[in-house]
Amino acid sequence: MVKTKGLHFQYPGTEAFNFPDIDLSTNSHLAILGPSGVGKTTLLHLLSGILPASSGTIFINDTEITSLDRKALDKFRGAHIGLIFQQYHFIKSLNVEENLQLRQYFPSKIKEKERREAMAERLGLVEHLRKKVTQLSQGQQQRLSIALGLIHQPKVVFADEPTSNLDDANCAKVLGVLKEEADLCGSSLVIITHDKRVTQHFKNQLVL
Amino acid sequence: MKLGFIAYKNMISKPLNMVLSLLLLVLSVSLVTFVLQLSKQLNGQMDKNINPIDMVVGAKGSPLQLVLSSVLHIDAPTGNIQLAEAGQIINHPFVDFAIPVSYGDNYRGYRILGTDPAYLERYGAILQQGRLYNTTFELVAGSAVVKKLGLNIGDRVVSSHGLAATGGEAHDDKPYTIVGILEPSGTVIDQLLICNLKSIWDAHDHGDEGHENQGHQEGETDKGHKGHDHDEVEHHPEEGDDHDHSAEEHHNEHGEHHHGDGDGGEEHAEEEHDHGEDGHNHSEEEHHHEDGAHDHDHDEEKEITSLLVKFKNPIGLVQLPRFINENTNMQAALPGFEIQRLMGLLGSGAKTLNGIAIAILLVSGFSIFISLLKTIRERRQELALLRTYGLGTRKLLYLVFFEGLFLAFIGFLSGWLLGRLALVLASRYIEAGYGYVLQINGPDFVELLLLGATLLIAIIAVFLASTSIFKLNISKILGDA
Repeated sequence: MVKTKGLHFQYPGTEAFNFPDIDLSTNSHLAILGPSGVGKTTLLHLLSGILPASSGTIFINDTEITSLDRKALDKFRGAHIGLIFQQYHFIKSLNVEENLQLRQYFPSKIKEKERREAMAERLGLVEHLRKKVTQLSQGQQQRLSIALGLIHQPKVVFADEPTSNLDDANCAKVLGVLKEEADLCGSSLVIITHDKRVTQHFKNQLVL
Repeated sequence: MKLGFIAYKNMISKPLNMVLSLLLLVLSVSLVTFVLQLSKQLNGQMDKNINPIDMVVGAKGSPLQLVLSSVLHIDAPTGNIQLAEAGQIINHPFVDFAIPVSYGDNYRGYRILGTDPAYLERYGAILQQGRLYNTTFELVAGSAVVKKLGLNIGDRVVSSHGLAATGGEAHDDKPYTIVGILEPSGTVIDQLLICNLKSIWDAHDHGDEGHENQGHQEGETDKGHKGHDHDEVEHHPEEGDDHDHSAEEHHNEHGEHHHGDGDGGEEHAEEEHDHGEDGHNHSEEEHHHEDGAHDHDHDEEKEITSLLVKFKNPIGLVQLPRFINENTNMQAALPGFEIQRLMGLLGSGAKTLNGIAIAILLVSGFSIFISLLKTIRERRQELALLRTYGLGTRKLLYLVFFEGLFLAFIGFLSGWLLGRLALVLASRYIEAGYGYVLQINGPDFVELLLLGATLLIAIIAVFLASTSIFKLNISKILGDA
């Protein structure tokens, strides 16, 4: 599902990152661990194609995304990759439901209402669908960003430090929801974190 | 979920920002459309009103005033002229037609105009109801008057003296009857109540008691002093409204012969000739020593306010006005020339306003540019997020594009509506003051061009503002916590 080879990245004028090769099979999950500053977020951005690698190859679902042009990459990312950022990003002028609709619609023009509602139900967002995103609580915003990472049934969803601000109980709960939703959507889940609590939930681990 | 929807949502999510960036556009569009419409409609209406008439002959005074009062009916007359003198022009070989008009009374602010039916013909008036007047004290009413005053066929109306709605003496002993209602023509006749000339003369031909009460009817109580009365005729032209009275006064003195007359002023005058001979010979010489046309000498007692003339050929235009101005006590004014002169003065004002409005339009284009630039900067995260959702750079460009066009379109629309609103208000004001009604039309060609220009400015603003979209660093924008 996710396969990398000789991945190398260098920000201009800074030290270079050399990443170990990854080979993750379909429907399995991976936790990438490591202290701050070892390039975890950089790796995640490389894998999701929002940052071009200096060298090396990345395959996602047998597509070599490192060889796609910008337009094709945008399209591929929209259809097959889900992203859950450490910082929540929404379209603030749209309400909760419209944000979900938007994520579903581009680029494959899916409008499955049932799926949207079922997911909102599971994540406890049903009664907030008409609300502005800025009116949601922190926890609701996190659940919405999980929903936005998975609503379009991506092949793989990348999550950046999803548990860093949570207490133990909530950490376990969010990880549970994430894995459950990823399984329901048939997506592989790749988490990057420095949070030790995560390790016990993942069989596959990569330490940078 | 269409891009247009997101653009729309984005735009209305910060209404205050939107209003701020649109303010200049709204202002400039409303100013341009208002000035355009106003000058176009006033010019159009002027043209329609003055086209049937090449020359106005009236009492000496300001030629512009003569044109405004006799053709456009928005000013006081310069005075009266004598029908006898005007008669020379009516029969002149260069003259196609000449229509005498006489006025001085109003009904609730609307002028009562005494004239030949030819006047209505010249303005292409069509009867909507009823018939034309065929005797005295019958009125044909213009559409605007009917609409405003709610008149019907058969209504009896009492005119009052003067041209203003209030203050004049009511002629309640001589009520008029509405016999016809005209279709709207978009010309000055919409604002008039029209009767024959004789009605105007007869309206003022009433008992002396009525006039005695009025301080300004100087000398009219001196029935016995005929010479004195003639002095009145001499100086009345300068006095505006009152001149009719002195003419009628003479009627009184000659007897009541005109009651049985037809409505033609000239026949009337002929008859009067016989009557007048005895009472008036002595004063005739005072007036008409240079005139010599003694067949008509009693027409002088019939006065009209002015004579509306159309020439047979352009030679008339060259020769007659000069002849009249140099050789008679009357003046000739050319409506086309006078109105052009007036519009030349007003037109430069309109041009200045338009220039200012265009300048504001350009500044408003700049303000849209700034606003879009700000929007794009503020929404970098959202734009980057949309890239991760699979929207390519081009789609993001469309998004900003839609927003810019929405802004421009809404700005234009509100500006246009504001301009029309201003036109409605101006129309009320102008109607109250001058009896003109401005039409509230849909957008015309020039306004559509203006819309095009506005959208073009918006498109340019979008392109200038959107360059940063091509350089969006998603990783940095979304990754930096």
